[in-house]
Amino acid sequence: MPEFKSEIRRSLAGLNLPPTREEEIVEELSQDLEERFEEALSHGASEEEAKQIALDELAESDSLSEQLRRMKMPLRQQPLTIGARKARQRFTGFWDDIRFGLRMLAKQRGFAVVAILTLGIGIGASTAMLSVVQDVLVRPLPYAHADRLYSIWASSDSTGQTRIASSGPDFLDYRDQNRSFTHIAEYIPRFIFTWTGEGEPRLVNCTAGSEDFFATLGVRPYLGRLYEPNEYTSLHDDSIIVSYRFWKNQLGGDPHVIGRTIRLQGESLAIIGVLPSMSDLFPDTDVWPKLTTNPSWPFMQWRSNKFLNVIGELRPGITPSMAGEDLTAILRRVPEEPRDVRVGLVSLKEELTGNVRVPLVATLAGASLILIVACINVAALLLARAVKRQSEMAVRVSLGAGRGRIVQQLLSEAMLLSAAGCAAGLLFAWSVLRVLPTFTDLPLPRADGVHLNGPALLITLAITVAVTLLFGWLPSLGFAQMNLSSALRPRGLEASGHSRSILSVLVIAEISCAVVLTISVGLLVHSFWRVMHVSPGYQPQSLLRVYIRNQSPPNDPEGLRKYNKENTTFWEDVLHEASSLPGIRHVAISDWRPGRDAALATLTFGDRINDETRLPTVEGSWVSADFFQTVATPLVAGRSFTDHDNADGQPVVIINSEAANQFWPGQNPVGKRIAINYTGPGRRTSDSGPRLREVIGIVGSIKHGALDAPARPAVYMPYLQDETDHDMSAMGLLVRSEGNIAGLPDRLRDRIHAIRAEQPVEIQNVEQLVAQSVATRRYTLILLGAFAAVGLLLAAVGVYGVISYATSQRAREFGIRIALGATRGRVISYVLRGSIVLTIVGSLAGVIGALLVTRALSSLLFEVSPLDVLSFSAAVALLALISIGASLLPAWRASRVDPIIAMQSE
Amino acid sequence: MASPLTDRELKKGSAELLILSLVEDRPRHGYDIGQLIERRSRGALRFNVASLYPLLYRLEERGWVRGRWVEKAGQRRRRYYRLTRAGKKILAAQRHGWRDFVQAIGRITGIEYA
Repeated sequence: MPEFKSEIRRSLAGLNLPPTREEEIVEELSQDLEERFEEALSHGASEEEAKQIALDELAESDSLSEQLRRMKMPLRQQPLTIGARKARQRFTGFWDDIRFGLRMLAKQRGFAVVAILTLGIGIGASTAMLSVVQDVLVRPLPYAHADRLYSIWASSDSTGQTRIASSGPDFLDYRDQNRSFTHIAEYIPRFIFTWTGEGEPRLVNCTAGSEDFFATLGVRPYLGRLYEPNEYTSLHDDSIIVSYRFWKNQLGGDPHVIGRTIRLQGESLAIIGVLPSMSDLFPDTDVWPKLTTNPSWPFMQWRSNKFLNVIGELRPGITPSMAGEDLTAILRRVPEEPRDVRVGLVSLKEELTGNVRVPLVATLAGASLILIVACINVAALLLARAVKRQSEMAVRVSLGAGRGRIVQQLLSEAMLLSAAGCAAGLLFAWSVLRVLPTFTDLPLPRADGVHLNGPALLITLAITVAVTLLFGWLPSLGFAQMNLSSALRPRGLEASGHSRSILSVLVIAEISCAVVLTISVGLLVHSFWRVMHVSPGYQPQSLLRVYIRNQSPPNDPEGLRKYNKENTTFWEDVLHEASSLPGIRHVAISDWRPGRDAALATLTFGDRINDETRLPTVEGSWVSADFFQTVATPLVAGRSFTDHDNADGQPVVIINSEAANQFWPGQNPVGKRIAINYTGPGRRTSDSGPRLREVIGIVGSIKHGALDAPARPAVYMPYLQDETDHDMSAMGLLVRSEGNIAGLPDRLRDRIHAIRAEQPVEIQNVEQLVAQSVATRRYTLILLGAFAAVGLLLAAVGVYGVISYATSQRAREFGIRIALGATRGRVISYVLRGSIVLTIVGSLAGVIGALLVTRALSSLLFEVSPLDVLSFSAAVALLALISIGASLLPAWRASRVDPIIAMQSE
Repeated sequence: MASPLTDRELKKGSAELLILSLVEDRPRHGYDIGQLIERRSRGALRFNVASLYPLLYRLEERGWVRGRWVEKAGQRRRRYYRLTRAGKKILAAQRHGWRDFVQAIGRITGIEYA
């Protein structure tokens, strides 16, 4: 075929057409000329003649350019279309690839849905967890100089205490002698007031800080003002600051709330300020009474009454350890303190989030494993598919597509998948994070501040790009060694050994990730099982706790006597009324909060010389006579309390077996005498030394706090023998019922209101309180368990996909084997052997991985070793079962291969 | 065959009408249009490449036809022209005008319009 284009270009020269337009005209005209040329040939012209005939078309009459020149303007540029010249269509090619990729995905909808969902779950889970970690653990607290805010705790190796709070005098020493802090303040984190006069009497949570408290945090009022310095010079309260939460929820967000009065503890207080939201540090606080140091309440003046939290803002340039040394030196000057007492600083953020750090990081790691497994799965699917598409690719290559062009197309397809997966993942993460704050019992600080955030999005984006490259690149490996001629033949559709081994490596990696996840979850499940089966030392089932807060006691001795007398009568009435309700077996009162904690006390022994600086610390509780029957804790030795153990009786105490073993090993403690210096949150103890009490009995050890905390030595004393003017202002009624508790809370409330009308009553189910004590453990388990389930599912899909792909590739081989006399059973076992090898290698790798990582979980485990054989073997067995199960179907299919059809396919 | 002069004059006036009529029922490419004119006029009318395509481009510029590259299986890609809505109106008007003109000529010259 002669070349006409240059001739046409020559005729167009000088028209200055846009290059695209010129090229189009050249192409259109040259086609025309070529057809005329061929036509002339077919009419018998020689090639030379035919060429001349065609060229005459251009030369005849008006020249082409003359004709075109008559047109007023060059034609507008045409949109570029498929097949246009290469140099100008790089971008067009991209969109073509996208369109083509969409068509390919639409054709294999099942594959696309599985891949996108898989990626979506992986990306969603890890993005959500990244957001949580970022917003809870990483993001600084929203307070001025948040990086210099620290909590101050003492510890002593000799008494075994790691987190000793401060007493009023400790704080005054710190405040007056330290050289490390710009601000330092003490506060009582949580106590309870009654709120009356507006409908149903209610309880409000209080936090009280000393004068520098708000300045330390850098908090400014949202409305109104803070307390003035002169207001800290009087014990008397006539004003109150409320929290944002209380203002919004209880006061209706009233913008004119300043000056309004509310009745707390029977006193009318004018609201002077509303604080901004401090839902991170003080999520439950309703009102903020002030805490004065001079004058101060008596219980703030006793050195041993260590119940105060202290926070400080470090001077710039002072490190926490320097400040710790400073404060340690101050505290060691106090004669009563243990010689080895140390003061340490914990950053406020660490204090807030330290408990959830390990669970969160573990869950994030779990989510990342899921993402890895998901990526591997999709990569394996793509790789398997790529081998199936070898002939398509071979056709493209033989038609002149370069390797780069093929990779570009694979990349576009991968991009579609990962973009869709990313979108699905973001949607998933977004919805998870939206429902997160609705879990009100979620033991996660700062939960309300968790959003799908920038860093998490960036990481997700980076992952998506990486995944795209991986997915585009991996299948192209399969084509690298493609033998064109064999690939084009129909039976050339077999995987090369190369891509089959890549597939196997992928599946092994997937199995090992799933094994690591499953083993970790196995350890958590085993721990949880142990925790749930740990005996708390009492029976939380069918047990209610009714929290009753009375008015605060007056300050003068005469008033206090009257107050105690009134309240003794009140409690006796409550006990009497409650026990007379139908369906009630036992009732008792105690200041212990089941599932939370008991107050602390130090012991002095009548039978030995006591080192004042090393008095042992025990848990303790004031109880009524029927306490042990009510909570169903067995008496081990001696006798229980009776009604005669009252104010007029001999002072007595019952200890638990833990205390008996620890303080009188190999002896009988009954009859021994001890003095108990009862301390605790806001507890009133007199300044005079406590009297000696006779140990009358030993009971089983109760886990006062969380189920997974060890039982500690404890003492129990009759509440009527409270020689220390324990204020009786806050106690709990424990009610043991006959099983069914429906309707019981209302009846209890009515009875109590019959005794005292304006009495706020809060009723809790002790079983739930105990469950809450292991909520972190439970949520971690649920989350990681879900991840492990997804991981196992994905591993099953991966194994199934690879095995069924491998068997379908070898259908002919199986056909021949069957034709040669192999039984179906042998074919099945032959296929299963392949998956067993994958499983064994994957499990081994997983076990090795797990050995390396489970140690990091130690703090989440309970009475379970990080190398727990049961968890390891159960996880491996489960995975083996699943992966063999997943290969059964393809194995069965292989055994059904019809030898004739299989061999005909050649 | 008519004399070249007449041929040219006639062509000039009628060319637009011819092309528009040919792409009325379906889109056609340039070579096809050229062939059809030659065949249906039994060789009486013939456009060479240098005049046919500029005409097509002019019609396209006026928005009466629209050209588009089309790739058909087993064929080279070609630029097909189809009649636009505006083209349809023009075609109808021109047909009408030509009929009147031809009839008028016939009445004067006594040539029967076939």
